Amino acid sequence: MDKLAERLREDADKIDATISVELDERIQASLRGISPEPARRAAPPSRTFSMWWASGITGVAAAVAVFAVINMQQPEPESMTEPAVPPLALPFVDWNARTAVLTGPLQQEYEDLQADLKKAEQVLKDDIGL
Amino acid sequence: MSSELQLIEAAKKGSVAAFTDLVSAHRERLLRFLLTRCSSYADAEDAVQDTLMSAYRYIHSYNSRWRFSTWLYRIALRNAAKIGSSATVDLQELRGDENDPLSECIAASDRENLWLSARRLLTDEVYAAMWLRYVDDMSVNDISAVLERSASWTKVNLLRGRRALGTELNRGSCANKSDDHTGEAYG
Repeated sequence: MDKLAERLREDADKIDATISVELDERIQASLRGISPEPARRAAPPSRTFSMWWASGITGVAAAVAVFAVINMQQPEPESMTEPAVPPLALPFVDWNARTAVLTGPLQQEYEDLQADLKKAEQVLKDDIGL
Repeated sequence: MSSELQLIEAAKKGSVAAFTDLVSAHRERLLRFLLTRCSSYADAEDAVQDTLMSAYRYIHSYNSRWRFSTWLYRIALRNAAKIGSSATVDLQELRGDENDPLSECIAASDRENLWLSARRLLTDEVYAAMWLRYVDDMSVNDISAVLERSASWTKVNLLRGRRALGTELNRGSCANKSDDHTGEAYG
C-alpha cells in the first residue's frame, strides 16, 4: 500500500462514527414496522410485440398500394424524342391555267378577257345543256 | 459470502434479525461515509436509518452480481442527496466550517486530517470515489456502479483525486520538516 492510501485509511479511522444505542433502537423499530416488498413480476410478453410482423406486413402492403395508385393516375410521360411528323400531302388541283401574255394595251386585253369569259360561259352552258 | 446470501434470502422472507446481521458490518462504515456527505451528525444518522429501511424494503431488487455493500452505498448516496437537497444549509458552504460534522468527529491531531483536505480540494463525487476506493476497498467497477458513472470516468477522477491529495500530503510533510527546522508554521 502506498503512502497516500495508508494515510487515507489512517485518517478515515480517526473519524469517530459509532452507532448510538438510540439510533440502533430507532433502526430496529423502523425495520419491524415494514416488510420487504414482493419482487415485481416480469410483465408478460406483450401481444403487440409478438405480432410485430403482422403490422409490418400491413404497412408494406399499404405502401405498395399507395405507390401503385399514384403511378396509375399519373399521365404518361412525354417522350423525349420528337414524334415523327407525317409529310403534309397537299391535294393537287390542275387549274388548267395559262399565264396571261399581255401583248396589247390594257383596254384591249380587258376586252379580249371578257370575250374569252363569254366564250367559256357559252361552252359551259352547252356542256351542261342549258 | 454464502452466509451473506443466506442472510439475504432470509431477509427477503421478512426476517428482521437476518437483515440486522447482514448489515451489522456495514452500519458504522455507512455512518462514517454519510458524515462526509451530510450537513450534520443528525442528518447522517437519519440517512443511515433511511438507507437501511430502503434496503430492507427493496431487498428483492438486490442483484447478487453486485457486492451487497455496493448496492447499500448506492442507496446511501441517493438518501444523502435527498437529505442534502432538502436541507436549508448549503453543503458547499460547510466546507471548513467549524460546524462541519466531519471536523467535529475527527480526533484532535497535530496535522490536518487528509479527508478534511479532500473535502476542501475535491468535488463531492471525486471525494466519494476516493472514499470508496481507499476506505472501503471497492473496485473501480463497484465505484462506477455506486456513483452511476463509467469506469473510465472513475479511473480518471481517482487519478485526479490522488494527484490533488498527493500534492497536499507532500506539502504537509514539507511543512512539518520546515517546522522542525525553523519552528515556524507552514502557510
